[in-house]
Amino acid sequence: MESLLQSLETLAPIAALRFSRWAYAVVNTGHVFAIALLVGGTVPLSLRLFGFWPDVARAGVARILALTSGTGLVLALATGSLLFATRASEYAANPAFQIKLVLVTAGVVSVIAANRRHGLAQEGTSPSAARRAAVLSLIFWIGALVCGRLIAFVQG
Amino acid sequence: MRHVMKPLIAAVIVLACGAGAAFAHHGWSWTTGGNIELIGIIKSAKLGNPHGVLKIDAEGEIWTAEVGQPWRNERAGLKPGDMVPGVEIKIVGEPSADIKNKRVKAERIYIGKREYILYPNRD
Repeated sequence: MESLLQSLETLAPIAALRFSRWAYAVVNTGHVFAIALLVGGTVPLSLRLFGFWPDVARAGVARILALTSGTGLVLALATGSLLFATRASEYAANPAFQIKLVLVTAGVVSVIAANRRHGLAQEGTSPSAARRAAVLSLIFWIGALVCGRLIAFVQG
Repeated sequence: MRHVMKPLIAAVIVLACGAGAAFAHHGWSWTTGGNIELIGIIKSAKLGNPHGVLKIDAEGEIWTAEVGQPWRNERAGLKPGDMVPGVEIKIVGEPSADIKNKRVKAERIYIGKREYILYPNRD
């Protein structure tokens, strides 16, 4: 595992990114933008699912926010993989990063499972099931954001 | 799904509290505000974004020195071959407020007779 992570770090484009100025800044900024899209979409979507704004149609909210937060997720995974690769062995050993990965995985799995069962707008779910899904989503994605930021504040 | 919730919430809270006691790599919030001088031999060097990290053997004590990201090191005049294992180096910078961490963030670096200033506006 350790040698695999180290060989990832030494790949030519990854090494170039590690020693670049603006390419790293672009990827880093892209990651922040992606998280803004992702969390900025899941928070209002989850609150709507939880029961806020009952006079606003769930389907409309879901159609817009699932698209923007889904785009954010894909972009976050792409930029995040690059940032991870530049210091793979260090980040892999970082407890904040490890918890973040668990939360992101849980978030992705739960959103896929929920969509398979009830579709984007979660039509037909009981209010209590919708509330549970909403709370989980908030915990997973805000938790992932917090842990992501904490990577720079704890040591592996 | 309910059974995963409690441990996850607990994990986030524990981590958040733990992080308060730990300290940051970035910024200066975790340092003392005063400078120390560290002289030793570079044991290992991991340079690059988000910032470089040196392990320095200072008379048997292994210290961790945080140096700049590539552009800052380059601006100071440091070349890729300057900070490599075996080189004697003097670091002037702020240590971690918790001295047990043996971690210092470099403001100025001295190799041979040359001075390399990473943070021109700090002293």
